[in-house]
Amino acid sequence: MSTQPTIIARTVVRTVVPIIILTAISLVLQGHNLPGGGFIGGVLTAIALALVYITYGSEYLTEELLPNSNEDRRLPDTSEEQSGLLSGAVGAYNVTFVFGLALTAGAGLVAIALGYTFLAQSALFVSQVPIYGMLELASALVFDLGVFFVVSGALLTILAVVGDE
Amino acid sequence: MQPDQVVLLAVLALPFAGAVVTPFVYRVLGERTAYFAAGIAAVCLALLVSQYGNWGTVTVNWISTASLDISLVLYLDGLSFLIALLASGVGVLIFVYSGAYMQGETGKVKYYTTLLVFMGSMLGIALVVDLISLFVFWELTSISSFILIGHYQRTPSSQYAARKSMLITVSGGLFLLVGFLILHFVSGQALGDMTFTLIGTEQSLIGVPGKTSNAAAIRKALHSTGLFVPVLVLLAIGAAAKSAQVPLHIWLPDAMEAPTPVSAFLHSATMVKAGVYLIARFRPLFVPEDVITAEGWTLLFVVLGLATMTITAMLAVGSTDIKELLAYSTASHLGLIIAGFGLAEVAGGETGVFHILNHASFKATLFLVAGIIAHEAGTRTISDLGGLWRELPVTAAIAVVASLSMAGIPPFNGFYSKELLFEATWITAEHLGGIAWVLPVVAVFGSVFTFLYSIRFAMLFFGDRPDGLGEIHRPPLAMLVPTGLLALLVIGISIWPQVAIDLIVNDALASTVPGEVHHFTVHFPPKISPALLMSAITIFTGAIAYRFYDRIHGGIRRARSVPFLTANYYYNSIVEGLRRESDLVPRYVQTRILRTYAAVVLLSVSALVLAGYAVAGVAVPIQLVPDLALPIVVILCVAVVGAWAVNTASSHVAGVLTLSILGFMVAVFYVLASAPDLALTQLVIETLVLVIFLLVLDKLPEFYGEIRRSRAVVDACIAGVVGITVTVTVLLATATDPNNVIAGFFIERAGVPEEHGQILLDWGGGGNIVNVILVDFRAFDTMGEISVIAMAALAVLTLIGMRNRGESA
Repeated sequence: MSTQPTIIARTVVRTVVPIIILTAISLVLQGHNLPGGGFIGGVLTAIALALVYITYGSEYLTEELLPNSNEDRRLPDTSEEQSGLLSGAVGAYNVTFVFGLALTAGAGLVAIALGYTFLAQSALFVSQVPIYGMLELASALVFDLGVFFVVSGALLTILAVVGDE
Repeated sequence: MQPDQVVLLAVLALPFAGAVVTPFVYRVLGERTAYFAAGIAAVCLALLVSQYGNWGTVTVNWISTASLDISLVLYLDGLSFLIALLASGVGVLIFVYSGAYMQGETGKVKYYTTLLVFMGSMLGIALVVDLISLFVFWELTSISSFILIGHYQRTPSSQYAARKSMLITVSGGLFLLVGFLILHFVSGQALGDMTFTLIGTEQSLIGVPGKTSNAAAIRKALHSTGLFVPVLVLLAIGAAAKSAQVPLHIWLPDAMEAPTPVSAFLHSATMVKAGVYLIARFRPLFVPEDVITAEGWTLLFVVLGLATMTITAMLAVGSTDIKELLAYSTASHLGLIIAGFGLAEVAGGETGVFHILNHASFKATLFLVAGIIAHEAGTRTISDLGGLWRELPVTAAIAVVASLSMAGIPPFNGFYSKELLFEATWITAEHLGGIAWVLPVVAVFGSVFTFLYSIRFAMLFFGDRPDGLGEIHRPPLAMLVPTGLLALLVIGISIWPQVAIDLIVNDALASTVPGEVHHFTVHFPPKISPALLMSAITIFTGAIAYRFYDRIHGGIRRARSVPFLTANYYYNSIVEGLRRESDLVPRYVQTRILRTYAAVVLLSVSALVLAGYAVAGVAVPIQLVPDLALPIVVILCVAVVGAWAVNTASSHVAGVLTLSILGFMVAVFYVLASAPDLALTQLVIETLVLVIFLLVLDKLPEFYGEIRRSRAVVDACIAGVVGITVTVTVLLATATDPNNVIAGFFIERAGVPEEHGQILLDWGGGGNIVNVILVDFRAFDTMGEISVIAMAALAVLTLIGMRNRGESA
């Protein structure tokens, strides 16, 4: 960034980002019955982190929000130039979307293991839960979470890599 | 008795399975991988032999839908047994020989893997009779041949040769495919149901030999649709490309760039036999019973075969390299076989099948001999070789036997099949008279050249030893034993030709003739017949002409040096011309300017779509006054204003903001049209786009410069065309009203039913139908879509993030 963002932008982002992420999570969870879903939630999360990235820069994101990523995610034999891609923030994003893809495939395979067709979904109704009363646990939520992780991880990867240019 | 399904499938699958594990086997066995591969070939051979006599059909259903019924049909009869026997039997010997020949060479893993794949494909060609699988195996042999010819992949001559064989044989295969599809189409008219099966089932093109015959009905349908000649020509082109017939023979001499075991295996004993096999297989379809000439068939294949036989025999005499000589001679003998199958007379079929066996035996031997010479003497140039019998006495004996057989000199096996050809041409000429007398004359003329080059090859071992020839080593046993075994086969067939015929050749003949076949016999002619006389003329003339071999050789080389007389000249001109044409592509299409790419892609998509509508003859429903609610009209008007403002925006910031006006108006439109999920998605995406613009905004240049008016007009036209296409598509897509079964099902099943147990399985169980469709009913689609997103991220990672990696490494 050529110019430092103003204090207004910094303050607004600081307050808005948690709200966006909370909204994203609630959209994912309610998606089965109300408008929302994994895709929308994923894009919203990506937007939230992109805002942080624009106002505070990528160093802030890697050092403050993902403090352990530089040591943990680095592969043993990575050289200096590789570290930007497979570790740090981008590394975390990679892991996210790969995990999401695995989650969706896994959700399908579990159905096969139980003797149903690939990606068959079901729902379990649990009654007498405190506060909620009757609660529906849909297996589709697992799949939707996978979608969420893929979308947010992939978008953030693209944003971070292109943004570094 | 029917063949065993498991055994036949095992024969097909084993070589491919072996090819898969070869890289791992090589790590353990190293050079001895050759014996592993030879073991696989031996097992295939043993399995095959266990099915000897179990002629019949095995059908394995493969793709079975209402519109497409493709099954893997395996058919074992004399002909397929003969070809499969050659593929696996010669395969064993070749693998053993390779173990010694390839000692110390590079790329052995690739070599053995490809050779195994080739053997499997060749067995496939022999055993399958459904045309789709046949085509697949057919092209697989071409591809494996491409890899094997290009074994020394760094030398330009190898590259040229591999490309040439690939272009010719693979494109020949495409002609074949068209022919197969036409036959498939015609079979529907003739038999009621369309079929891809050639022979062996009630519903096949030929029928079950001895029980049902559909061939006449197919021929009638072909005639009535006017497709008889096209199909015949298409099949002939495919077979000619594979079997190196004039003028498509040019790839075979170049293919000698391959290691010699490959030449012996692919380019003499098996792969080039595929074309011949195809003609033999289709013969009962096109040749009616009890005729002397089959319409179209005889003319086409006799001319093709005899022309090839003569021309390539002359070219063989003009060769300077022993492998080149053998390559031309192979094409020549394949021509002989094809001419034999072309003649509808029964002796013609006898010529074809018997010569398939004889040629494989003596030519594979000679190639292995050539390999020994090249390996031990270090040169393949004919003029540099001579008097080799002193150092290579066993090889010399083997070579003499095989050469004499190739020359057609009694009592060797080549003589018997050549006699049959002479007999067939004579009988045909007697019946037809007139111009047909050319046939026996050409057959003798071509055979004289065959005699000449065969003797020349044998003479490599005799006469004076040239000064330039270095020290010659003894060949290793692993090279000598397979060669010797093949030579023993030649001798065996020569002494007991009738045994070979009774065992396999007669059954193979039965596969190539329509109707009943009489048992045929060969023996040394007891009295003087026209055919014997023709043989005598051939040998006598050849013996005299051999005194002038060098002059004939020189004359042919002079004729070859005239460019437009050779087929190579045309091939090279075509390839060179195409190369020059393709240079135009980067100039006009791959311009590295985004504007060009966008224009090309958008215009071609629009053209295809609009052309599709025009061909389908759809009428565009136009509703002049749409019944829209007022709020929607207002929103859409604002969107249009926003779109206009984007184009006239003075700065990037204004442009981005006005663009978002357009996007947000679309979102509001979704809300008004009661599609909250779409609206939400549109809103988030719009926000994301805005954020991305924020990211790059200060990196963009302030001013792009004036746009030329002509370019602006062109761009406006492209934009207009795309707009029209999209509008028409939307109008058409929304006007059609497919039955709402699917929508009804979704609406009914998405929610939670009134009464349900604790676990819900058959219902979506969600209040949001859009989401239930995404994650449940159409979850597979969604999975595909998120895979695409993940792939895009990976692409960005590798293309942008890692683009400097290659140079630093």
